[in-house]
Amino acid sequence: MSVLQKKPQTKKTFETSEKHKDVRMSNLINAKSVSDIVRTSLGPRGMDKMIQDGKGEVLVSNDGATILSKIKIVHPAGRMMVDLSNSQDVNAGDGTTTVVVICGSLLQAAIDLLDKEIHPMKISESFRKAEIEGQKYLKEMAKPVKLIDNDSLLKAAETSLSSKMVSQFSNIIGPIAVDAVMKITNPEVDTNVDLKNIRIIKKFGKTLEESKLVDGILFYQKIMHNAGGPSKIENAKIGLIQFQLSPPKTNMDMKLVITDYNKMDRMLRDERRYLIRMCKKIKDTGCNVLLIQKSILRDAVTNMALHILAKLKIMVIKDIERDEIEFISKTLNCKPIASIEGFVKEKLGSAGLVQEIGTSDGKLVQITDVPNKGKTVSVLIRGSNELLLDEAERSLHDALCVIRSLVKKKFLLPGGGAPEIEVSYRLREWAETLKGEEKMCVIKYAEALEIIPYTLSENAGLRSINVVTELYNEHKKGNKTMGLNVKKGAISDMWKDSVIQPFLVSSSALSLATELTGGVRYFTINFSLFIIIIIIFNQ
Amino acid sequence: MKSQFVAGTAIIAGERDSGIRVRQNNLHAVMAVANVIRSSLGPQGLDKLLVDDIGEVLITNDGATILDQLDVQHPAGKLIIQLAGLQDREVGDGTTSVVLIAAELLKGAYDLIVKGVHPTNIITGYRTASKQAVKFIKENLSKSVEDLGKEVILNCAKTSMSSKIIGMQSDFFAKMVVEAVTAVKIEGKKGNKYPISSVNILKSHGKSLKESILLNGFALNCTRASQGMPRAIENAKVVLLDFSLNKQKMGLSVHVQVEDPDELEKIRQRESDIPKERIEMMLKAGANVILTTGSIATECLKYFERAGAIGVRHCNRSDLVQLSKATGAPILISLADLEGEESFDESMIGTADSVVQEFVSDQELLVFRKCKTSKSRSIILRGPNRFMLDEVHRSMHDAICVVSKTLESNYVVPGAGAVETSLSIYLEKFSKTLESKEQLAIAQFAESLLVIPKTLAVNGACDSIELVSNLRASHNTAQKENNKELMFTGLNLDKHKVRNSLKDGVLEPLISKVKMFKFATEAAVTILRIDEMVKLYPEQQQEGEEQQERMM
Repeated sequence: MSVLQKKPQTKKTFETSEKHKDVRMSNLINAKSVSDIVRTSLGPRGMDKMIQDGKGEVLVSNDGATILSKIKIVHPAGRMMVDLSNSQDVNAGDGTTTVVVICGSLLQAAIDLLDKEIHPMKISESFRKAEIEGQKYLKEMAKPVKLIDNDSLLKAAETSLSSKMVSQFSNIIGPIAVDAVMKITNPEVDTNVDLKNIRIIKKFGKTLEESKLVDGILFYQKIMHNAGGPSKIENAKIGLIQFQLSPPKTNMDMKLVITDYNKMDRMLRDERRYLIRMCKKIKDTGCNVLLIQKSILRDAVTNMALHILAKLKIMVIKDIERDEIEFISKTLNCKPIASIEGFVKEKLGSAGLVQEIGTSDGKLVQITDVPNKGKTVSVLIRGSNELLLDEAERSLHDALCVIRSLVKKKFLLPGGGAPEIEVSYRLREWAETLKGEEKMCVIKYAEALEIIPYTLSENAGLRSINVVTELYNEHKKGNKTMGLNVKKGAISDMWKDSVIQPFLVSSSALSLATELTGGVRYFTINFSLFIIIIIIFNQ
Repeated sequence: MKSQFVAGTAIIAGERDSGIRVRQNNLHAVMAVANVIRSSLGPQGLDKLLVDDIGEVLITNDGATILDQLDVQHPAGKLIIQLAGLQDREVGDGTTSVVLIAAELLKGAYDLIVKGVHPTNIITGYRTASKQAVKFIKENLSKSVEDLGKEVILNCAKTSMSSKIIGMQSDFFAKMVVEAVTAVKIEGKKGNKYPISSVNILKSHGKSLKESILLNGFALNCTRASQGMPRAIENAKVVLLDFSLNKQKMGLSVHVQVEDPDELEKIRQRESDIPKERIEMMLKAGANVILTTGSIATECLKYFERAGAIGVRHCNRSDLVQLSKATGAPILISLADLEGEESFDESMIGTADSVVQEFVSDQELLVFRKCKTSKSRSIILRGPNRFMLDEVHRSMHDAICVVSKTLESNYVVPGAGAVETSLSIYLEKFSKTLESKEQLAIAQFAESLLVIPKTLAVNGACDSIELVSNLRASHNTAQKENNKELMFTGLNLDKHKVRNSLKDGVLEPLISKVKMFKFATEAAVTILRIDEMVKLYPEQQQEGEEQQERMM
């Protein structure tokens, strides 16, 4: 495999006639070296990267998209690779490392072909043909999956988690991910999942084993205890307000003028009465838990208001962020209330229990037993250090995305490099029917795909060439599902070992001018072509 | 900048380091941190003197406190410090041990990696080992408090203190701590709670440690607002306020505009009448001790004096929260009632048998005795100098945590390296039953645990090799013959021998050990997985300096 050799850097001279070729080379090489950065984090034996940014903040991650977005890539072509992995993150959520690694390998193939004086246009055209062909093979390999088949979903989630720091806990995080997605989707009809309906709350302390799914809602915000209000309420009626419980402010240039001392008393009294009126109105509707949105202009709730609310036995949670409102109202079946006039019974949500749960790192508010709860869930992640906690959140996100991919397109593929080898093998077969430069390009393209099993075995410390060739032989025999089981360090049937990944249909909007549907890998290939074309046309 | 456009590793604006060098660096950072506190483990562990950049001096033996003071730059080092902080918050004791174990696990892992074992195998092994360890402790080594009798709690406190400055007086202090913690018990459905915040610790410079006292009630580090107030009040009616009793001020947008000078006087009068009315309202309801987090205007003090009541200003809110629990008085942030007027009634008053301002050394304290719920205790620590007092405070805090955790979790394990050695023997055997690569890692985990007895012995100036071998031998026999007696063998560092820790009353709460292993493993795993380190250059403005440095 020539993929791994680093090309010697050509001299960067803009004055000579070699300008075009050199710039193109520099672009390709730079983009490729980005993929080298993340290569070592691919697969179950991939390791993590520790990144310390200019301010000294530290991040430990295994997620390709996270790593690339944190390290500052200077070169424009390199930045394109970062964008590529970001797009994959947005679209599929998982496979961000894979996409970059494949792209890097394809770029290397392009470099080799350019060396052979094949015209760039020809290369990109053949690559695209190969990719369309490859799509077909992938489709043939895919197995349909039913969403009620919890077992398969779990396996897919665990495969995704196997490469992460939290892989030891995949038996905890995996089911959480599956349950979370299943709780918010209707397997019969839904073709997409809005991950915004899953609220992830991180709390430092304890160990990851104590992470859990909460069928309800969790808040970082605390219950206000200044005035000694209640800290646990059963049969709660919850009001979500976007107005402020504080005395009204006059405009900046308006002034209240007091001319005698009686008016002073009156002012103070009126201020109190104003608040009391509001609070009583809230109480009259039966509301006993009040969620108050954060306000910049005025105090969202003053001490006086808290005092009155406490007297009325209403629990107060303040500083709710604006972007949380939608989630809360969806979960609790309540409507956000923008003014006191609109505070009516119908807009309240209800819950069986609202209480504070203590952790060593401060308290959390938990609302549970919500009748006719909306399709949302909260997940609480615990961890014994902050780096682990952050990485656990990202890993959970990936696992959620995997399940989402399965909801979007209900097909599964074997993992462990099996699809890449299969496509590679079939493409080579297909290449026999071609001729000329096209044939050469397709063969190169097929070779480039071998990077995935190659890297997997390399990271695992296995003999990569043996692994790849053996896999190749198996696929030649027609054993389509044979892949590399990294944990065992041997080639085996991926279905049996339950190393599986979803086959996602990405919307064709992101892909170029093709109508074919594709999966994670399809998207990858398309995008790398896109990059190549851009690079070439930009010269 | 130009060079960064060249292909290869320079495409990012920073430095990259990968493979074994990163592991080495991480290990060095972690070991450096662990070595700082290594010598403070155990009863013979010594203290550290830390001087910070502004010259503040700190003498301590507490792992979390020492590490908290260190300004560690390396991310792996920071992670270890965070680990100690977590142990401190969740358990309150065992902070030194957790760091030592985590560091030792990493060192062991590094050796294995050099030998060619893949980090993921080590990680799986460590995790299995940690799970097995927790299971083994729970099944074989833990003893319920009920079985062992009341002595146990006292012994746990003593064990925790033994390594600290108050080790010599541990009998005296252990009794004090146990008495205080058991007194603040709150009975709940899910078992009793012993909130450590209900034990208030005050430090007072002077006299000797032995003169420290435990007060039934709450001691407040504040004094009455004026000399005219009484020093002592029997049958105190306590009111807690979270607002100032000052002249009423109008809001920003309110202007006072008068045409008649008499009006002005009236307004002034009214301003100072508002707090007066409030005070009189409270006094009328029977209140005679009024505490506030805010201030009390000097001209208002006379109302207190006249009524023979105590007024205290500038209290800490956290103190008031405790007082609120003790006396039953709510903390008021306003006197407003639901009619829009201000009112005050008896439900807002808490009670205490007496409130006395007492002289303790050169400091005056306000002591609340026999409060309504009597769920509050205060310990007044005495000591010859400030550093010592601070350290005694920390040691007492640790001991209080230990006692409270023991009472809550109800299980104890033997101390003095007994658990670690027993586990080490058990895991070593366990590893041999596995055929996978994890075997090596589990054996390494077992080996790493021995760092605790080894360090204990070294710090105690014993022959650590001989002593630890003795210890291992007895645990080996214990497990082979299922000898329950030998199972609890630990070190006796005074006599340089092994002995039964359980009988000698060297005990630790179970939860402390369990969390320790879990946390240490998680931290080690986090660091172990790192094989590449990217250090980005600081943002633009320092670019010039960076380049200069590189040129040099």
